[in-house]
Order: sequence, then structure tokens, then C-alpha cells
Amino acid sequence: MSTTTPTITEPAAPLTEPPREGHRAKAVLALARFETRELLQQIPVLFFFALYVVLIALRLMSKDGMDDFPVLNTVDRRTQATPLLFALALFICANAAALRSRKHGTVQQFGVLTMEPWRRTLAHVLSVIPYAGLTALAVAAEYTREALKPGAIGHGSFGELVVGPLSVLLAGVTGVLLARLLPSSFVPILFVIAVYVLGVLVSGLIDVRQEWVGWLDPIQFFSSSGGDPVPSDLLGRPAGWHALYVTGLCAVLACVALLVAGGRTRAVKAATALALAATAAGVIGQFPGDTSALDAARRTASDSPAKVQSCTTHDGSTYCSFPEWAGVRDDWAEVVDRVRSGAGGTAAKGGLTVRQRVYTDSGVEIDGAIDPSTTPGEVTVGTRWGGNRVPEFAVGVATVLVAGSEDVTTEPMCDARAVTIMWLVLGQDPTPTATFRNVRLDDRTTGSGVVLAPTNGLSLSGPQTTVVRELLDRPRAEMTARVKAHWTELTSARTTTAQAAKLLGVEVPKEADRCGE
Amino acid sequence: MTTASTGPATLTATDLSLRFGGTRALDGVSLRLTRGVTGLLGPNGAGKTTLLRVLATAVPPDGGAFTALGHDPGTAAGRLALRRTLGYLPQTPGFHPEFTAFEFVDYVAILKELTDRGARLREVRRVLEAVDLSEVRGTRIKRLSGGMRQRVALAAALVGEPGFLVLDEPTVGLDPEQRMRFRELIAQAGEGRTVLLSTHQTEDVAMLCHRVVVLARGRVHFEGTPADLTARAAGRVWSSTERDPNALAGWRTGTGSFRNIGDPPTGAELLEPTLEDGYLLTLDGESAEVTA
Repeated sequence: MSTTTPTITEPAAPLTEPPREGHRAKAVLALARFETRELLQQIPVLFFFALYVVLIALRLMSKDGMDDFPVLNTVDRRTQATPLLFALALFICANAAALRSRKHGTVQQFGVLTMEPWRRTLAHVLSVIPYAGLTALAVAAEYTREALKPGAIGHGSFGELVVGPLSVLLAGVTGVLLARLLPSSFVPILFVIAVYVLGVLVSGLIDVRQEWVGWLDPIQFFSSSGGDPVPSDLLGRPAGWHALYVTGLCAVLACVALLVAGGRTRAVKAATALALAATAAGVIGQFPGDTSALDAARRTASDSPAKVQSCTTHDGSTYCSFPEWAGVRDDWAEVVDRVRSGAGGTAAKGGLTVRQRVYTDSGVEIDGAIDPSTTPGEVTVGTRWGGNRVPEFAVGVATVLVAGSEDVTTEPMCDARAVTIMWLVLGQDPTPTATFRNVRLDDRTTGSGVVLAPTNGLSLSGPQTTVVRELLDRPRAEMTARVKAHWTELTSARTTTAQAAKLLGVEVPKEADRCGE
Repeated sequence: MTTASTGPATLTATDLSLRFGGTRALDGVSLRLTRGVTGLLGPNGAGKTTLLRVLATAVPPDGGAFTALGHDPGTAAGRLALRRTLGYLPQTPGFHPEFTAFEFVDYVAILKELTDRGARLREVRRVLEAVDLSEVRGTRIKRLSGGMRQRVALAAALVGEPGFLVLDEPTVGLDPEQRMRFRELIAQAGEGRTVLLSTHQTEDVAMLCHRVVVLARGRVHFEGTPADLTARAAGRVWSSTERDPNALAGWRTGTGSFRNIGDPPTGAELLEPTLEDGYLLTLDGESAEVTA
């Protein structure tokens, strides 16, 4: 033990006036800062926040071609589920922090300190707010990165974007509340299990995507069922009301925690009433009410999209899209120009109408096939763009250039036209073999197969595939010239695949052309 | 009862009582404290810890009242005002083992609502230096020895310069060197403050306290100076070669002779009384025997 002489100064004169409320509020903020710092030293919080950031970084660094054209009304919802593990960690650690005194037997000695238990509870509640703020920063960074991409489509919703940070806040506040209601370290684990089981049971009873009651779940999991995005106004998601509901819920739980901890002041009671009102408003606002207008808008978008679309004309072709997709019309035009550059006859100069279409028959964002357009000269384009969607669109363009309309694909084309379509798609492509593989459903470049398109796929027989591959092995300029020279024959349903091969000067396949396999 | 005092009263308690079920833990306790260190002596179960908890506002009394430093803890405002100038070291203080010594004292300082961050941090450094823990202030409490932890608890009680310190057996479990060190700290703390020190050690009282209160079965049996308590045994301590059967208590000393307390027989060899003799005689005979 050291031998230095201790020095304890004389105490200041006892305070005779009660402290001002502002002074006490500052003390609560000081404790909140302290608790925030303590939470930051908890391994689960650090680990899961790092994991959250890594997941976002990996998603942003993804090289999928469609990521260059993010649809922002799906990007915003994608941000909601990612921080859930982090929220869970915060729930556990905030609960442990609020139980710290009980666990380590300091309740008695801290019970005589100036700050009352309800103010300490308030500090615990406030201590989780910076983590919701951090989540908000991460969400903002992710969304901004996507929104700043030149190919970004449409716009996101603030109501959707705040759900992720609010879920983190809700988790932290719930952890504090549970510590006050059921002060045991086992409770958080049991609570998580109970919530999970309840979630499974409820989702087994109702389709939470369709039922209004599903919106009472604070966290709306975004599970894409493979359907393409739709314009924002067709989503019918009460995002703003839901954000208000979750905000109100956070405030209600926080107020209940304060009341349970003894903070039955007028301010807390007033805040509780306000929070309950906000939550109720959020619940009522989420109620779908009369959906006839939304249903009608979805039907219009699906059946008569021209009524709600705007169009631009480029080099003789017309490009019509829902307003949010106006920015990608130039990219469509590039593909049309490239495909048309390989065509001959009137197709090389004739105009097309590119029409964006969506499928909403069974709801929005549901995986469903769009029927081929029966309008001559009209090419369908979906709401996803980039990656494989580009050659698929090229198939649609080439089909209309060769056959006049998309609906020819309802039956297999056992003739030269399929070869011509594929040449137009691949003839000007910088990596034709890779594109050929990607655009086929079976990812192969041999044998029969289905080539993907925005509407019906194009059936390709084995001999047709062989001829296409042969063409790709020849000099492009020479093949392009031959296709143009024999355009009439190559776009005739009466020209066989073998005849097409002969016309184009490539080896005639030995096997019989059995279409429709 | 002796009522000698030095200086004006800083704490006055009148007829404090508290029951736990069928047990009367405090039974009409009245006392008066002044600045300086007052010792609270008593056997186990005397109600010392209960009295300290009442005076530290940890538990309200069933009956009676007290004021400390001019504040009446019977009212919410008075309780808050008293707590702002109170330092309390419980018998078995709890710690947050993952906190460093500095964090723990800082945490307590925040709970004492020291809001000026710079001043608060200076104060935390000051009290840690006062209890000679500056060098280990960044060490987690779980890595500190028992004596160091006790000093952390004292630092936590001292932070914010409280005018009223309540210390419940702070030297229990400390080795002699640590106990001596603690006595120095408590003596320093008693300069200008009102300190109520509960202890089993009459040595602590003899060395530290200007006043002493003896509590037994929830009642005050003595209140006065240590000299007054010692004087109670004047002429009632004697030496004998055998244990005197009429003595309230008696024990063999290092010299081989017996030290007896009680009513000496005629012609007995009287000894110089100590504080402990006075304390034992102040308790009733049964308690004295048990304690002896």
C-alpha cells in the first residue's frame, strides 16, 4: 500500500435550494451518454453492427448488372430487415444495462443517490437513440449510394427508410421496458422466442402481405416473391402511417417503462397520452379503407398502361414508360438501335413502339408472366433493367423486327426466323457466346432450349442453336451483310432452318429440325 | 444517557422506529450528531445497519423523524436535498465489475447529478487520488483486491463533497494495514463533515471518533464522547488470577491473569478501563457476556 498522505478536502456548503429541472435534465443526458458508451463496449453490439455494415458494403459492391439500375422503391424496403440482428443485440444489451444494478447488488447504495430510478430509466431509453441514429446513417448511406447511381429508377419513401432505424430504437426501448417489468436476465431470451413463435403462428393464420393486421407487426419483412417492381403509386403501402405507428409504439413503450419505474409526473403522463394518440393514428392510418381507387390504378397500369405513361420518340421509335422509368428510355433506345442495325428490309428503318408493362393480376410484385403484346410493332419491356434484362429485351425487339409482333412466340418457330432473331440479338453483342448462354434458361449453348424474353420465351431447337453458333464463329460483318441480303427469306415462316443455314453459308445441321422439344 | 456534544447539531433524530415483520429493528432511537466522526457501536442485530439505512434515506422509518443538514427527508424535496449532500457506504457495497474504478465513481457522480462534465471528471480524479487509487483508476473493478474495492466504494461515497457521510462497517475484512489506511481516510473525511461510522471495532472509535453512540436491541444505550464511555468502566475493571464468577465478563490476558468487568469484590486490583470495557458495561449483562 502506498504511504502517500490522503487529502480529502472539506465539503462545500450544503445546497439549500432544490436543483432546477434543467440541471436534472442535464444529469439524465450525462447518464444517457455514459450508458451509450457502455453499450458501445458490448461485444454483441459491436459485432452485429460491424456485420450490418459489412452486409451493406457487400450489397453495394455487388456486380450484378441489374444493380446498376436500382429501383428505389424496393431499395428503401430492402433497408428494413438488414439491421434486425443488430437490433436484437441492442435489445439484449440494453436489457442487461438496465438490469445491471440489480445483478450486481448496487440497488441499495444507488437508491439513495439523487437521480431517481425513473430518470435512470429515461437515460437508458435515451442511450439507445444514438444506435438508431447510427442505423439511420447506414440506411442513408446505402440509399444515397443507390440513388446516386446514374441508372437509379424512381424514388424511395421516407416512411420506408425510417423503419430500419425505428426497429433498432424499438428493440432497445423494449429491452429497457422488459428490465423494468420482468427483471430477470432470462426474460429477453424467452421474449425473443415468444415473439418468434407468435410471428410464425400469426403468419400461419393470415397472409401478412395481404391483411391489414399484418401492418401491426412493426417490422415489415421485405421478401421478394420474384415479381418485378411496380410504380410507387401502385404499391399501396401506408409507409408514412406505419412509420408513425412504430414511432408511437417506441414512445409508448418508453413511457410505460418510465411509469413502471415510478416516473408518474405530469410530463410523463402527457407524453404517454401523446404517444398513445400517435400510435392509434398510425394504426388507423394503416387501415386500407376503400381500395377501389388503388385496384383501379393497378388494373389501368396492367391493362391500359398507355393511359398513365409518357412517351419519347427516338430515331423513329417510340418509348413509353411509367414516369419513374423515364430515365432508362435512352438505354432501351440503345438496344433497339443495336438490334435494328443488323436487320434488313423495312425492319432496318421502321419504327417500333417500346411499351413498359407490369403484371398486377394477383397483386403487385407477384411473380407472373406478362402476355405477349398483340399490337403489331409493339415491344414489351419490364420494370427491371440491366444485367440479363438487356439481352432479354433485345430478344423481344428482334422478335418484333423479324415477326412483326410478340405474339408469334406463343407457338414454337420451327423455321429460319428463330435463327434470324438470335443473330440480331447476338450479332452486334461484344460477348455473344456469354450472352447466348445467359439469355437461355438452361445456361447452355448447345441443344434445344428456351431463350428468355420480357414476355414469352423463344423456343430454340437443337439445329437452330447449331446454326446460331456457326454464325457467331464467322466474321460479323460478312454475316451481317448476308442476313441483310436475304432478309425476306430469313424472316419468312416458310424458310426452314436448313435453308437459312445454306443462305447464310454455314454448315447445314445434320439432325432433323424437331421443333417444340 | 450522556448528551455531551461539540458544536451545533447537524443531525437530530427523534424517536425513530422501524419494524420488519414482528421484529422491532429500531425502537425509539433519538440521537444528535455534530460535525466530525461519530462512532456507532453495537452487537450484531442491534439495529446499526437499519439505523444507517434510515438516516441515509434508503428506507423510511415507521415512526419518528429526523433532520440532517437542515433537510427533512420526510418530504420529497427535503429527501432530495439531503441526498444531494449525502455519501453512503453500505455494509456490503456492490460494484459493477466490468467498470473501471474511474467509470464506477464517475457513474456514481452522474447519479449524484454532478452535471458539469469537466468539474465532474476533476472531482472523480480528486476522490480517487484521495483514496490512493489514481494508479489503478483504469483497471476494471473485477481485477482489484478487496481492499481496493472498498476504497473505490469510499471514493464513490465521497464524490461530490457530501456534507453527511454514512459509513457502515467500512473496515470489515480489511487487513491491519488497510484498516489503518482507512482510518486515515475516515479521519480526513470527518474534517468539516458529519460522519456516522458503524463499526464493531472499539479501536476504530477510540482512534477516530469524537462522539460515540451505543445501540442494542434497537435502542440507544449511550450517546456521548469516547472518554465518557470509557469513564463508565472506572472502578469496574479488575485483575484476578482466576476468572471471577461474579464478573459480567472476564477473559485471560496475555500475562496469564484474568481481566474482569462488573462489580469488583472488595480489595480487588483495579485496572485502567478502556473504551471496550465501557462499551461492554453499557450493554446489559447478557449482551456483555455474549460479546465478551
